[in-house]
Amino acid sequence: MALQVYSGSLLKEGLVAFLCLDDEGISWTTDLNKATAVEDDGLDALKEAAEKSERDNIIIAPYAVEVSRTETGLEPVENRERIRAYGPTIRLPQSAKSAPTSSGSRVAA
Amino acid sequence: MYQYSQADHQLLQERVAQFRDQVQRRLNGDLSEDEFKQQRLRNGLYLQIHAYMLRVAVPYGLMSSEQMRTLAHIARKYDRGYGHFSTRQNIQYNWPKLEDVPQILDDLAKVEMHAIQTSGNCIRNTTSDPLAGVARDEIADPRPYCELIRQWSTFHPEFNFLPRKFKIAVSGAINDRAAVAVHDIGLRLVKNDAGELGLEVYVGGGLGRTPMIGKLIRKFLPTHDMLTYLEAILRVYNQLGRRDNLYKARIKILVHETGEEKFRELVEAEWNEIKKTGLALTDADIEAIQAHFKDPDYETLSDFDEDFDAHLLANAEFAKWAEKNVELHKKDGYRVVYLSLKSRNQPAGDVTADQMDAIADLADKYSLSAIRSTHRQNLVLSDVKLKDLYELWQELKALDLATPNYNHLTDLISCPGMDYCSLATARSIPIAQALTERFDSYDYINDLGDISLNISGCINACGHHHVANIGILGVNKKGVEVYQLTLGGSARDDASIGKIIGPAFTADEIVDAVATVLDVYLDQREDEEEGFLTTYRRIGQEPFKEKLYG
Ligand code: HEM
Ligand code: SF4
Repeated sequence: MALQVYSGSLLKEGLVAFLCLDDEGISWTTDLNKATAVEDDGLDALKEAAEKSERDNIIIAPYAVEVSRTETGLEPVENRERIRAYGPTIRLPQSAKSAPTSSGSRVAA
Repeated sequence: MYQYSQADHQLLQERVAQFRDQVQRRLNGDLSEDEFKQQRLRNGLYLQIHAYMLRVAVPYGLMSSEQMRTLAHIARKYDRGYGHFSTRQNIQYNWPKLEDVPQILDDLAKVEMHAIQTSGNCIRNTTSDPLAGVARDEIADPRPYCELIRQWSTFHPEFNFLPRKFKIAVSGAINDRAAVAVHDIGLRLVKNDAGELGLEVYVGGGLGRTPMIGKLIRKFLPTHDMLTYLEAILRVYNQLGRRDNLYKARIKILVHETGEEKFRELVEAEWNEIKKTGLALTDADIEAIQAHFKDPDYETLSDFDEDFDAHLLANAEFAKWAEKNVELHKKDGYRVVYLSLKSRNQPAGDVTADQMDAIADLADKYSLSAIRSTHRQNLVLSDVKLKDLYELWQELKALDLATPNYNHLTDLISCPGMDYCSLATARSIPIAQALTERFDSYDYINDLGDISLNISGCINACGHHHVANIGILGVNKKGVEVYQLTLGGSARDDASIGKIIGPAFTADEIVDAVATVLDVYLDQREDEEEGFLTTYRRIGQEPFKEKLYG
């Protein structure tokens, strides 16, 4: 069984976002650790919710991302997904501003 | 510099309004992503790993200080405070929001800039020599020809959906500084025996998955026929280029599969038809454009300056910079200055908004208010007085733009790689940064001399690794980033494609592997005059292989 979250790019900002599916319904977050992670059997519900958000023009091209639970939180298995989740791995120019949407805020419902 | 006409301005404004409407319809949900994607790509807007990416065209790499200030303003207001100069002399923004892009394009249009044809299967920004108009070895200024191509190719209805993207470079000097050999079409201004100006025409160069050096299909084309001949090449390509396979769609494959001789015949036949329509450029056409690129009023100056010489003697650091990053100018008493975008502190080609503003101020103060970008991801101030060099250097140093490494090891090209690019198979910037840190010693890179080290994060080769003396290609091997090393490439007059030396190295090993290659070179060169490429071509791969894998 693999732990997975759903991810895509926010239409308005283009930023990487993860799906939260809980009592409050569907929302998207830029913080992977707030994402809803499920084992394989919960995946269909996430997929359905993500596709609804795609139809609602909130998210672009959502897909499932495999993650593992570590001491520090959720960690994507693949390199590319780790970079998507946590940003460029390099020193940005010194004066670079932080990400335009503050990490972790819920951005859309 | 070329100034827009009223019609140019109107065209851009209409285009911005159109895109504003398309974005609005996308945000409202009236357009699906599939429908919208074609529209945004036609305006230089990609969706990358972390965010949208906007590519802004810098026609043949030439910018006014006013344009640079607008680029700074965009970086500051709509992005995260920096931009990235690419190997195609353009600038890319990594974090714009979709809803802001129409306003960004509006701001750009006000200073005669745009993002049209910076993406998609059309004729892209024409690139050129960053020393155009000021080089001592220049036969003729290539910029008027670039501008003619820009005007001809912008919105050319016949060539707006080619089998694949199309890139043209023009060089007007004895030494090729525009990598003409690796473009779909490379043009070199030359003079024939009668002293007339014309063009050598190279077709079918390119990098990517199948790197190829362009073939010389015409030794002398009168400049008046430049556009009719380009039209003929494009028409043959548009009709016969493969549309069935993305990887075989570039003109280099068509030239290769058709054969050079046959391809030439096809082009000449098409050209003979087009010529009948009487569309050749007239003297008046060419002169009207040349008028935009007239020499500024240079002062009559001595090529000797006492204070400059005194500073060279008194300040070793200044002397190093002046030796590495300053080049002769066609006018006595002037110099060309390279602003290194390859410091230890930020990714190759990245410039912050504050730096951009400061560079614009420096251009106003010291260099006739113009700035150029180079295909090796640096910037150039082209008209600096010898007597101002010391002062300029102090200002550049304070801005971290004075690393004395032009055309040396740490002046490396690096594509954004997996830190930004959705097509990447591996990261390239961290490797570039590790190399820059490892080879930080001025004396060491000075001893190595003129050498090129380029890195790409996937086989598309945006980082030009194929044509570097030492090239690095990041690939994904079973989920792990590994790096292939190629040796012996060149992007200059002796253009060649590097060869893979052997099995790839891990991220932890690649810097040492480069160090080993350099050791072999230093050990094997005949004397200090023998450059890396000459040594490599003389001794071949074996000695390098032995040390790397032995
Ligand atoms: C959004 C990021 C980018 C994407 C999606 C992208 C995509 C590509 C692709 C697919 C190719 C191969 C084309 C082919 O062989 O048919 C290519 C080639 C190339 N790209 Fe990029 N690229 C990106 C960024 C850059 C950057 C940042 C630079 C400059 C640093 C650059 C400069 C080039 C150059 C010089 C080539 C090779 C020349 C050629 O054969 O066309 N690209 N790019
Ligand atoms: S070479 Fe590959 S990784 Fe690098 S910018 Fe081009 S497409 Fe992206």
